[in-house]
Amino acid sequence: MEEIKKTSKAKLIASALIPIVMLGLMIAYIFGPGSNFLGLGVALPEITIEKIEFLDSKIIATVRNTGHIDVEVVQADVNDRIQPAGIEPDKFLNRFETAKVIIPFAWNESEPYEIGLTLNDGTRFSKSVMAAVQTPEPNFELVSYFAIIGTYVGVIPVLIGLLWFPFIAKMSKSKYKFFLALTAGLLLFLGIDAIQEGLEISTTSLPGAFNGQLLVATVVVISFLGLYYSSEKLISRATSSNLTKPVAIGLMIAIGIGLHNLGEGLAIGAAVGLGEIALSTFLIVGFAIHNTTEGLAIAAPMAKGKPLIGKLVMMGMIAGTPAIFGAWIGGFVYSPFAAVVFLSIGAGAIFQVVVSILNWIRQDEEKTFSTVSVVSGFSVGMLIMYLTSIFV
Amino acid sequence: MHLVKTMKGKMLLAIIAGFFVTVIYFSLPILNIDATKEPKTFLTHSGAVIQTTGDVLDPVGYSGKPLEFDPEKYLREFSYGRISKLSDGTTLREFTIIAEDNKIMEISPGVFYNVWTFNGTVPGPTIRATEGDLIRVHFINNGQKPHTMHFHGIHKAEMDGVFESVGQGGGQFTYEFTAGPVGVHPYHCHVMPLEEHISRGLYGVYIVDPKEGRQPADEMVMVLNGFDTDFDTENNFYAANTIPFYYQHHPIQINTNELIRVYVVNILEFDQINNLHLHGNLFDYYPTGTYGIPSTYTDVVTFSQGERGIMEFNYTYPGKYLFHAHKTEFAEKGWTGLFLVKESDTSQYGVK
Repeated sequence: MEEIKKTSKAKLIASALIPIVMLGLMIAYIFGPGSNFLGLGVALPEITIEKIEFLDSKIIATVRNTGHIDVEVVQADVNDRIQPAGIEPDKFLNRFETAKVIIPFAWNESEPYEIGLTLNDGTRFSKSVMAAVQTPEPNFELVSYFAIIGTYVGVIPVLIGLLWFPFIAKMSKSKYKFFLALTAGLLLFLGIDAIQEGLEISTTSLPGAFNGQLLVATVVVISFLGLYYSSEKLISRATSSNLTKPVAIGLMIAIGIGLHNLGEGLAIGAAVGLGEIALSTFLIVGFAIHNTTEGLAIAAPMAKGKPLIGKLVMMGMIAGTPAIFGAWIGGFVYSPFAAVVFLSIGAGAIFQVVVSILNWIRQDEEKTFSTVSVVSGFSVGMLIMYLTSIFV
Repeated sequence: MHLVKTMKGKMLLAIIAGFFVTVIYFSLPILNIDATKEPKTFLTHSGAVIQTTGDVLDPVGYSGKPLEFDPEKYLREFSYGRISKLSDGTTLREFTIIAEDNKIMEISPGVFYNVWTFNGTVPGPTIRATEGDLIRVHFINNGQKPHTMHFHGIHKAEMDGVFESVGQGGGQFTYEFTAGPVGVHPYHCHVMPLEEHISRGLYGVYIVDPKEGRQPADEMVMVLNGFDTDFDTENNFYAANTIPFYYQHHPIQINTNELIRVYVVNILEFDQINNLHLHGNLFDYYPTGTYGIPSTYTDVVTFSQGERGIMEFNYTYPGKYLFHAHKTEFAEKGWTGLFLVKESDTSQYGVK
């Protein structure tokens, strides 16, 4: 009996390995000695300038080899005029390797610049900056500046939104359903917004080699499934522990919004760091109005439980403070790849929350979404988000 | 805690950890900077000082290897041909010119570009004769495309190098004409697409001296050209004699009070005009070099495609003097050079 089990296990492993071995043989045949398959087509070099920093009388460009072949960077230019430069660690870039190009240049504040790099075959790659600003260096002043922005954009609006709690707690069932649906609408909008943002960064800043659109799709789905799994776990255990079901759902919403705000903070910090926008008070007000609705989203499912002020504030912090961390990360170590990943995680998390809320709505006697309160709530939620987004 | 204990939990954690490691790997620059390396200091062509532990990107050094094309040599090299006398006393000058189009040349430090060449160089050899000489050019096309030689000047229609394209892989043609008129002229391939055949490097200078000769001088040739290395119909590099910034790092040495004569030909493609500005001096300018009287005494002369002329000047004061395109974009992309004027009583090339 034992032996039969062993042989069947060996067979199982063998059947799993055979296709892999065959694939290996095929690759060896194609790339192996004496093969001329590689003569087909021309491999073109490609590099991507990922980041441009403006320091005292010098410009630093971070460049990555994003093509299929090794390249040599041989020349730098500013606004298409040849400039001498240093390149570290060296000018030879293997696949995905990066280097820093240091160009001594007396740049002018708030003027646009284009930085170009020429490869050994004479092709030139460039990246533009809309307005040059001194790249922030992580000092205490700037750290606190970003913290304040994050607080204004993330923490305070969410906490203000939570103040709707007593208002929602006192209303009738159908009105309550309206507000739950409204929350779902708000969140669905945020999720779509995050995906759109992620796709935009993919096309403008992410090298083609990273397949930005597919990265967004993959991370959104994984994030959705991951949070779906853990939230089911959390809610099913909620009944046995002191965590009530509304609180569990509220917590999941807070986590989802927190991930979303991390992405938002990342975008703001990066924009300030890269000099892509002048961060006006108007913009901050826009974000604040936009994010106040997020507090409502957390408050709504919890409104039918006991008013737990401590828990509410904690959830507000979970949802809001990531904006501060996002601003720090975005401002000091911005990378388009990380931005796309975080925005996608946020989107997946938010879709998961939308699903939870919809389940929550359906869990009473009517078991349907086709009521006036649900449909109108959902629509109004999306409309509110669209209108407040105009200010941002 | 429960999560960590189960097999599933461990797998989940491993997936999450792997995910974040991947994100960090692709997000942060992969830099292998050796912190123990001493930074080196370089003075660059623009005067800027660079301190780096890595490499320097500057069109100065040619990594120690000698250049395939030597602008130093090209500057003062004239090809007079194989000379013989015809029965009527006319001087016959015979040249052999071979066209190729598969050569990869380093046209700026580290930049390799497929140039098309006459006798292996861009520009081709400077063909020089005296007015009235018979010129016979044995042209061999060893390229992979048809090519011709089209000389500016006076000749029969069938010697114009336009309709008689010479086939690739060893096609031959003999161009024969009487040298004239006096002046400085370009020659170039005239096969379509013309812009490509010229901008890739199939051009050179053809000088016709007057029978009575010109006043002895330190003579040199400057071909104003450029290269579009990324094929976007805009030049990436500009130069006098092919190599960007070459004469800035290897100044042209001349003597005070010695007559300098420069044969300038603008063969630049893609850009409408080109020009030349001389520092600390003015020059007599003879457009096309056809008349013995200068048209102007100036320090800037402007050329359209194919325009050329002769500059004559001498320096009173020793020192370094720039010459460059006053179209400063071209200057910043390589069309910049230096004269190093040395105090000297004895003549180096011509006669005082």
